[in-house]
Amino acid sequence: MAAIRVLLIEDNPGDVFLLREMVNDDPSQRCRVVAQTDRVSSGIELLQQGEADVVLLDLTLPDCQGLESFERLHAAVPHIPVVVLSGTDDEEFAAQAVHLGAQEYLVKGRIDTHLIHRALRYAIERSRSESELAQERDLLHTLLENIPDRIYFKDEQSRFIRINRALQELFHLARPEQAYGKTDADFYGAEHSAEALADEAQVMDTRMPIFNKVEFETLQDGSRSWSLTTKLPLQDRRGRVVGTCGISREITQIKEMEEQLATERNLLRSLIDNLPDIIFLKDAQGRYLLDNVAHLRWIGASDASEVVGRTVYDFFPDDVADAFHAADLAVIASRCPMLNQEERSLDRAGRERWLLTSKIPWLGEGDAILGLVCISRDITEQKLSQQHLKQANADLAASREELLKTVKRLRDAHQELRDVQLQLIEAEKMKSIGRLAAGVAHEVKNPLAVIKMGVEFLSAQELTDETSSLILKEMAEAVDRADGVIGGLLDFSAPKRLQVEREDLNTIIDQALKLVRGELKGAYEIVRELQPNLPPLALDAAKISQVFINLLTNAIHSMGQGGVLTVRTYSKQLTGVGANVGGSRSESFRIGGQIVVAEIDDTGCGIPEDKLSKVFEPFFTTKPTGQGTGLGLSVVRTIVDLHGATIDLRNLPECGTRACLMFQV
Amino acid sequence: MNDKKRIFIVDDESGFTRLLKLTLEKTGNYLVREENDGTTAWLAAREFKPDIVFLDIVMPKIDGGEVARKIRSDPMLAHVPIIFLTAIVAERETLQEIGGFPFLAKPVSLEAITHCIEHHLPSPAAEETP
Ligand SMILES: Nc1ncnc2c1ncn2[C@@H]1O[C@H](COP(=O)(O)OP(=O)(O)O)[C@@H](O)[C@H]1O
Repeated sequence: MAAIRVLLIEDNPGDVFLLREMVNDDPSQRCRVVAQTDRVSSGIELLQQGEADVVLLDLTLPDCQGLESFERLHAAVPHIPVVVLSGTDDEEFAAQAVHLGAQEYLVKGRIDTHLIHRALRYAIERSRSESELAQERDLLHTLLENIPDRIYFKDEQSRFIRINRALQELFHLARPEQAYGKTDADFYGAEHSAEALADEAQVMDTRMPIFNKVEFETLQDGSRSWSLTTKLPLQDRRGRVVGTCGISREITQIKEMEEQLATERNLLRSLIDNLPDIIFLKDAQGRYLLDNVAHLRWIGASDASEVVGRTVYDFFPDDVADAFHAADLAVIASRCPMLNQEERSLDRAGRERWLLTSKIPWLGEGDAILGLVCISRDITEQKLSQQHLKQANADLAASREELLKTVKRLRDAHQELRDVQLQLIEAEKMKSIGRLAAGVAHEVKNPLAVIKMGVEFLSAQELTDETSSLILKEMAEAVDRADGVIGGLLDFSAPKRLQVEREDLNTIIDQALKLVRGELKGAYEIVRELQPNLPPLALDAAKISQVFINLLTNAIHSMGQGGVLTVRTYSKQLTGVGANVGGSRSESFRIGGQIVVAEIDDTGCGIPEDKLSKVFEPFFTTKPTGQGTGLGLSVVRTIVDLHGATIDLRNLPECGTRACLMFQV
Repeated sequence: MNDKKRIFIVDDESGFTRLLKLTLEKTGNYLVREENDGTTAWLAAREFKPDIVFLDIVMPKIDGGEVARKIRSDPMLAHVPIIFLTAIVAERETLQEIGGFPFLAKPVSLEAITHCIEHHLPSPAAEETP
């Protein structure tokens, strides 16, 4: 240990000598006077240069007297311990110096070596501990004055005995002392004060601290704040509890943030819980991290705790779970969202449900994949109603189709009815013509018979005069013509019974051609295009022969002086009921049925389009009187109808007319 | 005179029967008796004993069919051919028969009548004379 370096400030040479001897008289060499001066000012200089550890100061010096010397010195070098020297007469001053900070005082004349050494050592030690204390105090002070936390010390009655700056500021006090002796009730609202008081009583009672209690405080001025408070028992050196000490941190901001966060969390929570959509969050392994009420309901769980940490395999049969899991992994692997995908699924009851699902990868910092977010909507109802709609549409289309068909049937039926009606009218007309004809025929034919006989009788006479025989000839012809008209009428109107045999149409046509040969007075060419081996037809040969005679006669007449007459037959399969098949007869012709067609083409004058519908009417003729009766085609139509066949007259594009007959095989 | 064929014509149209009688008899081959009342036709036939009868179908009071039945049921006359004459059928149907009887349609030509007579009563003289 280094020796204690002593500065001696003394002006009396005797005392200087004596004091130096006593200080230096130390066998262990622990104290030594290293300097001596008779003035305070030079002493301060030496000390400021660090020349000594302790000062022996005489209070009567030439430059300074009494207490002032100490005060000057102490003010200049407060950390240097000072031992004051006094005479017996000024011991009072010395005691005051000690009060002001000197370590010790010694009275001259009562000093010995031992005493001085002890005084010096103690001075040094005390000064050191004092400075240490001061340092500690400074530290504490710094802490208390600067810490934003509020610190207080209270006595047993919970009265403040010390508060720090932060608390002083909170209380809006100019000085901390203004708080001393007061209690929480003087600063805080009643509620907090009472609670704090109770807490402090408990701390003192149990000697157990209360740590980090969250307190809500209302100040007298109405401001509110949250704080985190720790209260400790305050003990004296003997371990007696003498009060409490507390430190409290303002956490209003944290609390507010926390509350805001909680509010936000609650908002979000109630948002996702009130959404009808299923929402959940999964980690990258497919374990549920979070879900909403809709999801809980969907998987049949009652609480999130039953779901968190588990996977789809805990809630669905393996095959369904596999599909879900695969979709999850795909999103996680690709990091691409899957949006609005329709998924078929089974619910807890095993019923088929449809979900519209979006899965979005959940990326963390640095784009690390953390899992996925899934939002799913149950669209089963839409899907079902969609299906219903589709079905309804199909039904509608079907019933529309049905309706259209019915309408068509109705129309057909209507058409048929009209046809039948027309036929009935026609038939009625024919019948009355028939009755008329039959009646008239008798009345006309008898006189005709008389005239004919008369003409024949007269013709048999020997007649001298040319004119008379000419007249008789004309008369005979007129009678024949009149008879022809009546005959045609009867032909047309007489009740018809067919004598049907299986006949070859070509044979009948050939016979008819032979019979009309007499009509061919001019340059006619006859072309026969008769398909051999026609299927035999059920026909009344005599009546069909009449049909062809009439048609061939018409064709020949239409050509006047000459032309080409083509007669054609062929059999074929009916591919469609077209214009070829007369409307009223179409129902007896079936598509795909075998038919035989006979066509008679001429190169004649043709039929004016507006007359086409009239030519079948009885008595319609364009021929001069005496040449046409207008009954030919009527008879044809009647006979054709009786056979269930059809007849159609049409103009040919170049010139002439085609009569087309169709027979069912 | 006996070799003349006896023709009996029944028709209410007297103009027709008269002219037919004149015409036929003018040929010299026939003896004709006309009858205009159907009701007395059968009695007249019994009296006349014709070789052939031409019978109108439509007559007042009695029709040709009735007269034909009476003649047919008379043993004296049953074998006599009966030809109907009618104004109500067309010519082309004359080839057929009505109820088993042949018939001719009015107005009828002399040729048709004689042809018909020759058909039913072939004269040996006609056959011999080529
Ligand atoms: N092949 C045809 N070419 C031109 N006109 C025809 C033909 N066939 C019939 N006709 C017309 O139809 C009308 C009626 O014919 P139809 O009933 O046979 O009576 P008619 O021949 O006695 O006049 C004829 O007058 C004629 O105008």
